[in-house]
Amino acid sequence: MEELLRISRRNFLKTGGIAAAATALNLNALGSFASGDVVKLTILHTNDVHSRIEPFPMDGSKNQGLGGTARRAALLKQIRATEKNILLFDAGDIFQGTPYFNKYGGELEMKLMTAMKYDAATMGNHDFDNGLEGFYKQLPHADFPIICSNYDFKDTLMHASTTPYQIFRKEGLKIGVFGVGIELHGLVADANYGNTQYADPVATANKFAALLKQEHQCDLVICLSHLGYKYDHKRVSDQVLAKSTSNIDLIIGGHTHTFMEKPEDVVNLSGGITTINQVGFAGINLGRIDYYFEKYKGKRIQTASPYVISEALEV
Amino acid sequence: MPDIKTSIKICLILLSGTLAYSCSVSNYKLVKANRSAYQMNQNAEVDSTIIKTYTPYKTKLEEEMNQVIGHADVLMSKVDTVPENLLRNFFSDACLAQALKIDPEIDLAMPSTKGGIRIDVPKGPIRLTNIFELMPFENELIVYKLKGSDVQNLLEFIADTGGQPIAGFSMKIKEGKPADVIIKGKPFDPGRSYWVLTSDYIAGGGDRVESFKNPLEKKMLNLRVRAALIGYVKENEAAGKSIKPILDGRITKN
Repeated sequence: MEELLRISRRNFLKTGGIAAAATALNLNALGSFASGDVVKLTILHTNDVHSRIEPFPMDGSKNQGLGGTARRAALLKQIRATEKNILLFDAGDIFQGTPYFNKYGGELEMKLMTAMKYDAATMGNHDFDNGLEGFYKQLPHADFPIICSNYDFKDTLMHASTTPYQIFRKEGLKIGVFGVGIELHGLVADANYGNTQYADPVATANKFAALLKQEHQCDLVICLSHLGYKYDHKRVSDQVLAKSTSNIDLIIGGHTHTFMEKPEDVVNLSGGITTINQVGFAGINLGRIDYYFEKYKGKRIQTASPYVISEALEV
Repeated sequence: MPDIKTSIKICLILLSGTLAYSCSVSNYKLVKANRSAYQMNQNAEVDSTIIKTYTPYKTKLEEEMNQVIGHADVLMSKVDTVPENLLRNFFSDACLAQALKIDPEIDLAMPSTKGGIRIDVPKGPIRLTNIFELMPFENELIVYKLKGSDVQNLLEFIADTGGQPIAGFSMKIKEGKPADVIIKGKPFDPGRSYWVLTSDYIAGGGDRVESFKNPLEKKMLNLRVRAALIGYVKENEAAGKSIKPILDGRITKN
């Protein structure tokens, strides 16, 4: 699987070096001692897969031969064989783009994501393409939560179908996840979203990120976003969101189909780092971020502090 | 080692300083992030259980989708950064041609936005699947009678966004504004009304088009956009003609 990686450097940094590197940057390891134990968390993600079940056909088009759920599933199995703390997310627009959706309505997309053990997804605008009924109908095939924080479905048939946030636990780590979607008015036919109420994504994100980081004391907070990476106009984007919020460590983005050369690290409202990543569309790429956490003996104060970032995995 | 209360105090002191860090209590500290991405290409292995899951769906679908409905002489690429391209011209000409057979009064057409045109159409055989992927949405073609000022608004949208899929007229974009607009061989007259072909999506304000909010009249054609495209390709094939779009300068930009 290494040959599929963007950058591959074997044992780029030995894990033993982390403590030393971190101490140099550490502003606030107050009242506690590093135990020397390191917990590794692997975040894997897709966005805008758009019903791309099979690779693009070999027909001379730009993305010919790329993508495919069978490849993604095989890669995921290989990663799962070596990593024990994995979370797999999708940032929306699961539906629409191949005849599989037109003919089967998204049933196969949900079944395959379930088979690949997705941990959660948020909704993109195209997930409304067959109306709320169309999405609701496929939920029995999805054995993973749909996380939507700024769409209020209480006056629709989806009132019990989504959750505004979810906390995942991995080897003692708490990972808080919430999801923000794009404004539906003007983008989705009115009848297709019905009585869905839309709330401001920045205010919503601030609320849930604070809840997860401060109240629930999550070690990592992830926002699944279908807002789009960036715009020329003033529209809210992941860049705007990152700058205007606190407590978000990672925004897994979608909507603009952006193949980011590498994740972007934005200084957020409280001076910490909010990373934005988006991996194009159609399941051509699978994004991966390995987070390393150092375990402390006794409670320690958690603050936004620098950490070492590298654009290569240690595999 | 200070207890938690002391630590919180220290944390509050930090908060009152110039660095307003967030504070909470945890046993873990994030020390490192390693990032990369994998590409699903021909070197990737496949999971046969996934293939087994989708094969029954695929077989049923392929029987329907793999039928060749026509032929293209050129690759039509989705390039959103140019004022005019082959793919858009094919798309909008096909919609207008099919709609004109139902309603010959139509003056001009913008049946999709460039964003609504989803994917390349390859050179060679055109299969039903190519048209489904090009136009996966279930939108309908509708004809609206618009006031000159609303047509002007549409022309401004087209100019402001650097070109859109159009048919039946030509225009220039000068400093982001529409100029030299020729509709059915005559200069655009903002003082009269026009029959404009578009989709229900655009008419409903999709992609921020505001021009169809107050139409004078509306005519349903009972024709879906995809059905128009399929009909156009099939009819050309039946007449022994291939799909051969050209860049005719319908939109130019300075």
